[in-house]
Amino acid sequence: MSLLQVAGLCKTFGEVRAASDVCFEVRAGEIYGLLGPNGAGKTTTISMISGLLRPDAGKVAVDGADFWSDPARAQKIMGVVPQEVALYEELSGRENLEFWGRLAGLTAVETRERAGEVLEALSLADRARDAVKNYSGGMKRRINIGCALMHRPKLLLLDEPTVGIDPQARANILEFVRQLGAEGAAILYTTHYLEEAETLCSRIGIIDHGKLLAEGTLPELRKRLGGDQLFVLEGNLQQANPDDWPGFRERFRIIQKLDHQLIVSSQNSRHPSECLRDLLELPVRVENVTLKRPSLNDVFLQLTGRELRE
Amino acid sequence: MLWTMLIKDLRRARHNPWPYLLNLALPLCITALIGLVFGPSSKGGGLGQIKLAVVDEDDSVLSSLLRGAMNQGDFKKHLEAHFLERNEAFKQINDNKISAVLIIPKGFTRTYLSGDEPVAFELIKNPAQSFYPAILEELVQVAVTGLNAVARNLRSDLPAWKEVFEKKGRPDMKGIAELMVRVGDKFENAERYLFPPLVGYEASTQKKAKEQGPALNIFAFLLPGMAAMFLLFLADHAIRDLYREVTARTLDRFRTLHDRLLPFVISKVVLAMAVVVLGSIVMFGGGVLMFGIHWQRPLAMAVVILAFGLFGSGFMAFIAALARSERRANAVNGVIVMCLSFVAGSFFPARQLPPLFRDHLSPLVPNYWFIEALRALQSGAVDMPWSWAALKLLVLGLGLVIAASWVFQRALAKGIRA
Repeated sequence: MSLLQVAGLCKTFGEVRAASDVCFEVRAGEIYGLLGPNGAGKTTTISMISGLLRPDAGKVAVDGADFWSDPARAQKIMGVVPQEVALYEELSGRENLEFWGRLAGLTAVETRERAGEVLEALSLADRARDAVKNYSGGMKRRINIGCALMHRPKLLLLDEPTVGIDPQARANILEFVRQLGAEGAAILYTTHYLEEAETLCSRIGIIDHGKLLAEGTLPELRKRLGGDQLFVLEGNLQQANPDDWPGFRERFRIIQKLDHQLIVSSQNSRHPSECLRDLLELPVRVENVTLKRPSLNDVFLQLTGRELRE
Repeated sequence: MLWTMLIKDLRRARHNPWPYLLNLALPLCITALIGLVFGPSSKGGGLGQIKLAVVDEDDSVLSSLLRGAMNQGDFKKHLEAHFLERNEAFKQINDNKISAVLIIPKGFTRTYLSGDEPVAFELIKNPAQSFYPAILEELVQVAVTGLNAVARNLRSDLPAWKEVFEKKGRPDMKGIAELMVRVGDKFENAERYLFPPLVGYEASTQKKAKEQGPALNIFAFLLPGMAAMFLLFLADHAIRDLYREVTARTLDRFRTLHDRLLPFVISKVVLAMAVVVLGSIVMFGGGVLMFGIHWQRPLAMAVVILAFGLFGSGFMAFIAALARSERRANAVNGVIVMCLSFVAGSFFPARQLPPLFRDHLSPLVPNYWFIEALRALQSGAVDMPWSWAALKLLVLGLGLVIAASWVFQRALAKGIRA
């Protein structure tokens, strides 16, 4: 069952098209990763879904109903974790949780009980009474997520929730999010970390310059490259022009071409050794050839012509 | 929801009270500053007695006359003259017991009456005191001008005066009387040139309807004007929590839970109103303690202050919504508050402003309604009914809160960040 449907979302800020015809859906129990570099349009998309921004065009349906026809209903269903730590630093972790719980419509008793549960789940019960300003970055991030969970949302929007924290804290948060997905929540998770998308998300949408370039499961996305293996040729390729090589385009797909490196995949399912022989016969001086499994970065590379890490 | 948000802000204030305490310290400091400027004896709004030490080194009949004049009439009312030796006088000025020392130099009478060379008093002012020494300086200048006028106009009689004053033994009262008659005649002849009766007046005493004493306190007149300005600054400081919520992204988080911004803005306005009310208590209560002001109708005053608090908070919230960032607000808010205060008569009474302001602009400014309502309450005047002023401030304040919420929501929906 689809809890979030996004169709044709567009948003322009002056001359900048922050989102252009963005379409995807997130089902219950699914973690959908929106992967893209900084400035790709992830936050704009999540802001339009959560009602912070009005889209110029397109529709957002939450649990089958249009968001803007009944925002209050949609807001009850969803929990939003902003990219920045949106907490009152003077208040304690518990006070923050209780405040946002009350604002989400819980009674005083419900709020107290739920805050206790969330603190336990986030392993923060022993620091519940400390002011948030005294928390570490990872602890703040966890409370930041906890505030969005107070009203048990069926749909959770997480906007880069692990930015700026150490690997261990990140691993804890990822494990917590995985657990939420396993409990049946529909999760939209934006990130620019390839590893997070690869290890956490059941489906991934790749976004750049406001456009959703591709989406699917990790194997589906890898398949777009044409095979299980990528060939990386290293050498002086400055003068090389693949169009001059007879039959090359029919046999290989170019993922990336740099002055010193050429990454290609096989166009058809030929044996790697056969591909390797073809590559070594190319009229260029190749110093090294390696074989590797395609990653999300390669998919991004193929889609945008540049690496996600750039 | 409003209650939840207020409790949250109060908890934040409890955990970090310094910004609020500093806000409240501002009016306290201003009130204390006024108290220091006008001196501790300003309690009651009157001038009080100025303590002056007179060192008479001349010890002549003329200096005795000058000394005697200081203990008579209006002088005695405002001056507390102590006749001391030079050392004792300096000791008292060092101990901050007196405002100044006036030294009548040795040979003053002879030099003055002979008219051969200029003669000078010596006035040593106490720098540790506020404006009393300046008043004494003015008084001494008046006395010097008077003595100069006498010396120039009665030059022909001065040798006779000198003779009388320098005569040994008991003063020649008959001679003095004759000289006084001659001086009197001269003044009488010159009277119609000196004092042409262009305008006359009749003195009468109005029967008191009731005891009004403390209501006529000058500070009760000044304080509402200054309070209007500083309360607006206080409201501005308090309402800036809106920007902090924007930059901390807690406002965004609120908007993911509620699509209407009005409750959020109202909670900030209520907080700002609370700060304004506390500031008012500090300023007007400080007025009671420091200047002995007896506020005539405290309940009506409280209503006007509350209404002004709503107006001030709503107005500042509206400017915050228009400015959209704390940096921009920093640039404009001070100027706006100062302009409003000037037009409303915070610096100079509105009646003393140029006609364009006095007759057309000032009556349109909410600060003016507040100031004039408080002054009218204090003086018992009926030209600015406090209830009408309070109603106007309340309605305008509510309108501004709603407008601020609408403008803010619109700006945020367009994606504008503080």
